[in-house]
Amino acid sequence: MAQIPNLDNAPINLTSLREQSQKELLSILKNIRGKKCMVVDQKLSGSLSLIIQTSLLKEHMVELRHLSAEPIETDSTKVVYLVRSQLSLMKFICSHIHNDISKGLQREYYVYFVPRRSVACEKIFEEEKVHQLMTIGEYSLYMIPLDEDVISFELDLAYKECQVDGDTSSLWYIAKAIHKLEFSFGLIPNVRAKGKASVRVADILNRMQAEEPVNSSDIVVPEINTLIILDREVDMVTPMCSQLTYEGLLDEFLRVNHGSMELDASIMGVQQEGKKMRVPLNSSDKLFKEIRDLNFEVVVQVLRQKATSMKQDYTEMTTTTQSVSELKDFVKKLNSLPEMTRHINLAQHLSTFTSKPSFLGRLDMEHTIVEAQSYDICFEYIEEMIHKQEPLVNILRLLILFSVTNSGLPKKHFDYLRRELLHSYGFEHMATLNNLEKAGLFKRQETKGNWLTIKRALQLVVEDTDTANPNDIAYVFSGYAPLSIRLVQSAIRSGWRPIEEILKLLPGPHSESKRSGFATSPSYDSLNGAPADKLSDGRRSLVLVVFIGGVTFAEISALRFLSAQEGMAYDLIVATTKIVSGHTLTETFVENMG
Amino acid sequence: MANVSVAAEWQLLYNRYYRKPELYPMRWKHIDLSRNKVACAPFGGPIAVIRDDSKIVQLYAESALRKLRIFNSAGVQISETVWKHPGGRLIGMAWTDDQTLACLVQDGTIFRYNIHAELVEPSISMGKECFEQNVVDSVFWANGVVCLTESQRIFCVADFKNPKPHELAEPGLEDSAPLCMAVIEPQYVMSGNVEVLLGVTEGGLVVVEEDSVQRVETVGGEVLGPLQKLAVSGDGKWLAAFTHDGQLLVMPTDFSEIKFACNCESALPPEQLAWCGMDSVVLYWDDMLLMVGPIGEPVRYLYDEPVILIPECDGVRILSNSSMEFLQRVPDSTVSIFKIGSTSPAALLYDALDHFDRRSAKADENLRLIRSSLPEAVETCIDAAGHEFDVSRQRTLLRAASYGQAFCSHFQRDRIQEMCKTLRVLNAVRSSEVGIPLSIKQYKLLTPSVLIARLINAHQHLLALRISEYLGLNQEVVIMHWSCSKITASLAIPDATLLEILLDKLRLCKGISYAAVAAHADKNGRRKLAAMLVEHEPRSSKQVPLLLSIGEEDTALAKATESGDTDLVYLVLFHIWQKRPALEFFGTIQAKPLARDLFITYSRCYKHEFLKDFFLSTGQLNEVAFLLWKESWELSKNPMASKGSPLHGPRIKLIEKSQGLFSETKEHNFESKAAEEHAKLLRIQHELEVSTKQAIFVDSSISDTIRTCIVLGNHRAAMKVRTEFKVSEKRWYWLKVFALATIRDWDALEKFSKEKRPPIGFRPFVEACIDADEKGEALKYIPKLADPRERAESYARIGMAKEAADAASQAKDGELLGRLKLTLSQNTSASSLFDTLRSSFQGVS
Repeated sequence: MAQIPNLDNAPINLTSLREQSQKELLSILKNIRGKKCMVVDQKLSGSLSLIIQTSLLKEHMVELRHLSAEPIETDSTKVVYLVRSQLSLMKFICSHIHNDISKGLQREYYVYFVPRRSVACEKIFEEEKVHQLMTIGEYSLYMIPLDEDVISFELDLAYKECQVDGDTSSLWYIAKAIHKLEFSFGLIPNVRAKGKASVRVADILNRMQAEEPVNSSDIVVPEINTLIILDREVDMVTPMCSQLTYEGLLDEFLRVNHGSMELDASIMGVQQEGKKMRVPLNSSDKLFKEIRDLNFEVVVQVLRQKATSMKQDYTEMTTTTQSVSELKDFVKKLNSLPEMTRHINLAQHLSTFTSKPSFLGRLDMEHTIVEAQSYDICFEYIEEMIHKQEPLVNILRLLILFSVTNSGLPKKHFDYLRRELLHSYGFEHMATLNNLEKAGLFKRQETKGNWLTIKRALQLVVEDTDTANPNDIAYVFSGYAPLSIRLVQSAIRSGWRPIEEILKLLPGPHSESKRSGFATSPSYDSLNGAPADKLSDGRRSLVLVVFIGGVTFAEISALRFLSAQEGMAYDLIVATTKIVSGHTLTETFVENMG
Repeated sequence: MANVSVAAEWQLLYNRYYRKPELYPMRWKHIDLSRNKVACAPFGGPIAVIRDDSKIVQLYAESALRKLRIFNSAGVQISETVWKHPGGRLIGMAWTDDQTLACLVQDGTIFRYNIHAELVEPSISMGKECFEQNVVDSVFWANGVVCLTESQRIFCVADFKNPKPHELAEPGLEDSAPLCMAVIEPQYVMSGNVEVLLGVTEGGLVVVEEDSVQRVETVGGEVLGPLQKLAVSGDGKWLAAFTHDGQLLVMPTDFSEIKFACNCESALPPEQLAWCGMDSVVLYWDDMLLMVGPIGEPVRYLYDEPVILIPECDGVRILSNSSMEFLQRVPDSTVSIFKIGSTSPAALLYDALDHFDRRSAKADENLRLIRSSLPEAVETCIDAAGHEFDVSRQRTLLRAASYGQAFCSHFQRDRIQEMCKTLRVLNAVRSSEVGIPLSIKQYKLLTPSVLIARLINAHQHLLALRISEYLGLNQEVVIMHWSCSKITASLAIPDATLLEILLDKLRLCKGISYAAVAAHADKNGRRKLAAMLVEHEPRSSKQVPLLLSIGEEDTALAKATESGDTDLVYLVLFHIWQKRPALEFFGTIQAKPLARDLFITYSRCYKHEFLKDFFLSTGQLNEVAFLLWKESWELSKNPMASKGSPLHGPRIKLIEKSQGLFSETKEHNFESKAAEEHAKLLRIQHELEVSTKQAIFVDSSISDTIRTCIVLGNHRAAMKVRTEFKVSEKRWYWLKVFALATIRDWDALEKFSKEKRPPIGFRPFVEACIDADEKGEALKYIPKLADPRERAESYARIGMAKEAADAASQAKDGELLGRLKLTLSQNTSASSLFDTLRSSFQGVS
């Protein structure tokens, strides 16, 4: 079970992208001769696992450690730190070195920043007087392919940093990553952006092109035709709703991380007490590829069908005599058995959560909030959740949903709920509330909301959704069509112009631009309704959708659904700062003062 | 015929023709080579001339000061300077690969000049020993030098770019000075270090390397006599040596055999000995030049003026007072066309053109004769054209080629075009104003980009630009160099004017580094110009550091912010931070949101106190309050602050301080109240810990405190906390119900339910019981639920399907009924289905 996904079917050559990153890492390690101890920032180790096998690291005489406050215990005299350029991590490195010095240990230190060196981090080294003791380099890992059609920039905190701290470093990284893609796949001629951060990224991208142009002579036809950039800020409603696709639900309840999950072995039918196991989740698993995007209700049916047909085959096999070729067919089917078992186990485990009344009640409430017709019911529901001291993040999730759809709460309610939260969960959450307010996610109402207008204009609530044979993206939330994907839908079909009025109601500016560096094909105007959707060699043209601040699995499913629709001539590829769920996204705002 | 006159100028050496066309008549006046030391650079490079201080010369109407003058190959003066260096006599002078003139004087100092006769700093010293012992001889090569001291020791600088002198092995010559010296360049030696050959009086050679000395007394069985003069061939493979008895010996540099020997009828050693390409050796005595080949009678040329031999890869240039000539073997293509009586296809083609021009029908006849070999004939004409220095002959040959090409179908048509291109470039640089007489072979070896580098070095920018444009090379180098030279040379031009002049040219080249030009302007003391130039740099990563270095911090900050690259913003931020007093720094960044936010982010992590100063000075009291509040938690994390210790005092004080700051502004009423409550809570919790002697209260929330009190059975304390913080009835009920369920005090719960009608109904009681899995207890409260739907759902949750259905039907809610059915069925049948499925497959896998 390879955890590193197979990318051969990707619409662009993501394999080469991954190989480049792997090569770069290995060359860094090769250049540091002999035995070494590599200390990896926790957040990075997931990324690394998608790029390189641990065995390959061992071949390069590397012992792996995680970066923490604890001093490093190792025999190696060479210590290689691989860290994101996060200020808070530098303290650890400094304290390690100080600790070694005080013990009289002489070591060589190498610090490699991902994705690039940072003046601020190095400043800390200087202040701590360890700058002279280390060799500083960079590992330019700006993105990793998570799957055939998903790229992650691995910027977990991008949204919070931009919205709360005003630290827009991640925007530069995102632009850089896109620009890097352009170096491999050609300058992207059409760019559409919505949201403050997105428009800024488009702007930085243009700057980068001016400073360091993608050489247009190398690539005749750009492989990616359109770039759509969206801020998470534009649509905070969608991630706060519970995802109802198979993959989305897995993430909601069991946390999918870098294309895999860690579970108790017992869930997977392995009878070993307390043992954890890692379950890969990517398109290399054929069955998963088939069912990941379906509404969970349907997944249960599909699995049941498959199992029944297999059972039938099996009974035939044992009762009647079969020809050799029939036997062969059967054995072939048997090959998919481990996958069948795996997903049946997972689905069963999931249904223990989905059948809980609390979950159903919650879904109900989310729907009511999105409908935005019964303010008081929603308010009381949330109030009661606080009184029952349900897990804080669950409450915040609903609160954000509630506040966003109402453009904030009236001052009286706002202050009341805040007070109840502080009383129930402790005053240390003042910082959390402050963060949410700064980000505009839970705030005082100042103007009247326009959610109803948006909802109606974009047909976000779809009645009578047939989850088994869906004809609209609303199936991913059983009746709510994600706002973000509605925007993408429109941007692909006809650009921003037709929905300009609605865009104005959503936060942040929008922009639409054409870029050239290509004298070659003026006909690449294809997205504006012209039927020239297919490239000359018959490939479908490609749209890159970038989410700044994260995207949920359900939204990705909706996009896949779109691109599979008849009359849709585009392949879609998704890039995101991070795969998020309402839970993980909300967590980034939770700050414990204590 | 014309052909005859061409060949008439050739000399035959055995079976090879040699020619000696004049490249230039020298344009200089009153230069007598015999009075001067002269250094000529290969590849048609410049000529440096300085009065020879080892000879007694008569001064005519000239200053007694020695002047170093630099000419191009046509004798046009490029520059001059007065030589007034200390250090004794000039021992050796030569041009290096990058056209720097290296002048070695007696005390071992090497002074370096560029082509404009400007001294290149720093001068190189050959070391202390040289300084003490005096240098007597030296040999230069492309990028290095070896010198011999009076005490017969040899020192070497292998690379002028990294001038570290070191001594080679001691040759062990005792007192007698060597007769002659030559080197094999490092690139031709296996070890990669230079090899020095010395001819000694005892006879034979001494080969000196870095750490070994080897004597060569016999070569190929023959004993070598004392050698008077040595010359190593351009490829380092051959050595020509002139013996004491007037013989010229040629041998490979591994000294395995003597390739040939030739008697020169003069025991006097030649003044100069040089290789002419790889084919022959040229010897020069006072008035005679002798060219010796492996076979056949040597060729003699007579001169009535002194000459200097300049070896090139394909011949030797001969410089005299009045002319510059190029002695070369006539190329095969030229021979085949112009040799007297030649009937080669190329000769016939050339002839055919002549007939064609004269409208003679014989042209056609000629063409018929060579039809089958026409392509070769064309090729030969093109090749011969390339080797010509005479422009009209180039033209005739190319016309012949083009004429022939018209009749052949399979010929690479761009060959002629290519040759024309090359010749245009060559003719341009050969013009006497530029004075670089490159042959085509030298040009190919030198490469166009080096040629361009040499042109810009000689300040021939326009020509360099034209050539690079013509050849499709990158013009950036040229324009960059021009801009820098222009700045250096234009001290008198005001900034704005000069900027326009520069921009005019810089615009020609996309992607050129304005920052580099600006940096040069800054170095030349033109800070304002630098600032104007850097404005045009599109790459912020280059622009910003430069702006900082020229003191334009505010512009730098604006540019960095614009670029979106936060790393650059940090760079500027730290720079200003260091440079300006704190208050001014605060003022600067307060007006710049991105810089301010980054500063705050950094300081939050690393400079807490400084951040507080910032917030105070900019009047953001609420932010200070938050910092203080946070600090109060830091205190609690302190391991010294065990629960209930006096440290709670300072903690509470900090919180109260922050509360005071919050209350300064109206907008932070809420925060102020919260801080106040927090302080109060801590006090109460502290008291509770004292009274209960259990350290379980501090830092839990108000609700948790109440629950803990109830769990401990301390209802009075719970009530007190409730009133103190005005906890609402609703919350109170939930808290108390859940707390009682936690300790499973079902009686107390029932009592509580009967205290009065619960303000939020009986749902909390039902839920608490169901959560605790006490169906019996739950059943006490379910019937009391007011809403039939809630009743139905509660029944359903404890699995009482019938009662649930009853309640649902009472609610007359079909949808609810359906949902209940679904939940119930999912719970049981769905999972049981999975179970059966799984068990049926266990046998297979």
